[in-house]
Amino acid sequence: MNLYECEGKKLFQKHGIKIPRGLCIHRGEEPVRKYQELGIKEVVAKAQVLSGKRGKNAGIRFCSSEEEVRQAAEELLSVNLRGQYVAAVRIEEKLDIAQEHYVSITYDTSAKAPVLIYSEEGGVDIEEVPRERIKNYELSIKSDRLAVDVPCAQELWNCFLKEDARLAEINPLVKTKDGRWIAADAKVALDDDAWFRHEEWKNFPPRTMLGRLPTKREVEVKKIDEGEAWYRGTAGKYLEMDGDIAILFSGGGASIANMDALEKHGLQAANYTEYSGNPPREKVYALAKIVLSKPGLRGLWIAGGVANFTSVKDTFQGIADALDEIRPAYPIVARRAGPYEKEGLALLKACAKRNNLKMKLFGKEISMSETAKVLTEMVAHSN
Amino acid sequence: MGILIDNDTKVLIQGITGKEGQKAAAAMLEYGTRVVGGVRPGKGGETVLGKPVFNSVQEAVDILGGVEVSAIYVPPFAAKSAILEAIENNIPQINVIVERIPIQDTAYCFAAAKGKGIQIIGPASLGYIVPGVGRIGVVGGPKNLTDEIFTPGSIGIISRSGGMTNEVAWQVRRAGMGQSAAVHVGGDLLLGTTYKDLLRLFAKDDSTKAVVIFGEHGGSYEFEIVDMLKNKEFTKPLAVYVGGKFASALPVGMNIGHAGAIVERGRGAAEKEKALADAGVMIAEQYEQLAELVKDYS
Repeated sequence: MNLYECEGKKLFQKHGIKIPRGLCIHRGEEPVRKYQELGIKEVVAKAQVLSGKRGKNAGIRFCSSEEEVRQAAEELLSVNLRGQYVAAVRIEEKLDIAQEHYVSITYDTSAKAPVLIYSEEGGVDIEEVPRERIKNYELSIKSDRLAVDVPCAQELWNCFLKEDARLAEINPLVKTKDGRWIAADAKVALDDDAWFRHEEWKNFPPRTMLGRLPTKREVEVKKIDEGEAWYRGTAGKYLEMDGDIAILFSGGGASIANMDALEKHGLQAANYTEYSGNPPREKVYALAKIVLSKPGLRGLWIAGGVANFTSVKDTFQGIADALDEIRPAYPIVARRAGPYEKEGLALLKACAKRNNLKMKLFGKEISMSETAKVLTEMVAHSN
Repeated sequence: MGILIDNDTKVLIQGITGKEGQKAAAAMLEYGTRVVGGVRPGKGGETVLGKPVFNSVQEAVDILGGVEVSAIYVPPFAAKSAILEAIENNIPQINVIVERIPIQDTAYCFAAAKGKGIQIIGPASLGYIVPGVGRIGVVGGPKNLTDEIFTPGSIGIISRSGGMTNEVAWQVRRAGMGQSAAVHVGGDLLLGTTYKDLLRLFAKDDSTKAVVIFGEHGGSYEFEIVDMLKNKEFTKPLAVYVGGKFASALPVGMNIGHAGAIVERGRGAAEKEKALADAGVMIAEQYEQLAELVKDYS
């Protein structure tokens, strides 16, 4: 989960990294009152978004009066920066900047270890800085003490480890004219897989990276993998997209290959969804019901590879349960094989029959990609 | 022949008493893998499918001796200590099936295994199979289905996806070939065993005539292959599918900040395919083409 600047800064502060004095203005809050509360004349107003490159996209305003703050807050909350939803506006003291550095810690897949990246040339153009002026330090995850001579490195390392971050980035790390190091920005991504040791993460409001708030359906699907059997199969992945073909894929790799195949055949997905790891019937049912509840669908593609141990029968039973309730009129194509494939395909066939569904069923005699073509033809003919 | 395991490889299962552990034990045994026992703290003295359960890896190793592989079937929150236990007892090959392990725990285990000559396959790896010899984990599924898909042959398979390990193996079989081995390296950001590690093994394996890889965009592991081919460390025919082209249509999502861009600078999905093609790798447009591309070499 990616954090907003104001959330990331709170974590920095907790681990001893200085941040500018400031506060957040949320929708519905009175900007001028917040400005008065802060009590600093020269401030920076910053749109709170989940992506970077905000400074280059007019997401930052300098203000020195109540009127300017009011106007900045109003404008920033009403724009969508590079497709990113603005959740709030943070106002904070304008720093007296002497230098802007860059420091971050993340995982490097080649080293298979955390790496600290440091440059004395931080700021909005960090990605343009030549490689030789960026230092990379491979860190030993077995040691909580760092031996690198980089400002704020130890504090950032503590934050990275204790908070289970996948990324902790300060850009710019400002050196003020009076010699203090201050984190002028914060980019923190938390590792969702470490949720079981972070009770406090429940307090973060829901979010997506799609430049909008999560939809009701997205929030609902996430709940499927919560509760006692959270690690018994995954069925909580649902990302709403602009197309009209409902997707029920099984397996991460298969879903990726299938999304490519669907696009290649000219169909647009209404969602991206994938269940895997032999989820119980109930989980698949809950997922399928939400996937099929999206308005405006023109087709449904149920596809997965030759399963190893996921029961085609149990998972398809979950899908059949949802189809029995919703009884879609649009074409449906299913392709799946693996344990209990005969039973699984048979019960889906029976479900199609009793509900008069327009459904075509396939096993492993043809590839998944080929069934995308079948669906394309069915959708074209049903219009 | 094949890689990673042979007919005599002795396998321990950590978490053998759990639902998934029992299922894996049954899958391995029915395929002829030599499962010698399991571990579950507090359940020492019990048996699963006739195999002894021990309280700790150390106890198991002391009594059984010469354990060569440990397969880890525990919940995510217990994974780190289970893997470290296997490492401390110098088990040379560890297959971690556990999904959703915190990345910090994974990195810690990799660091602990470093320099000890221990090979970790995973995490989030369903396992691997050498047709006709044995399997670690559940690749292939129940024996009768496994036999429909896997048969001894000359094609090596590496996949980032568990389901696609099986699906690609099936496409190979459907095209009239067999497999020398199929390995699911796992889908996490950090991989204990990479394409490169496995290609080294396939290079030395006489039964392997060609290798196919089901890759995914993201990460930089495919670039290690390019370097290998340039250095002539791997000279057999190689076909690769890189999935996830659709993702370029999604908002610049999952990475915030610049660290990812700096670490992976110039190593995007398009560059990946081009670099592989330039190095002589056959690129599959759709996954099922992997089998067609290597058919002439089998």
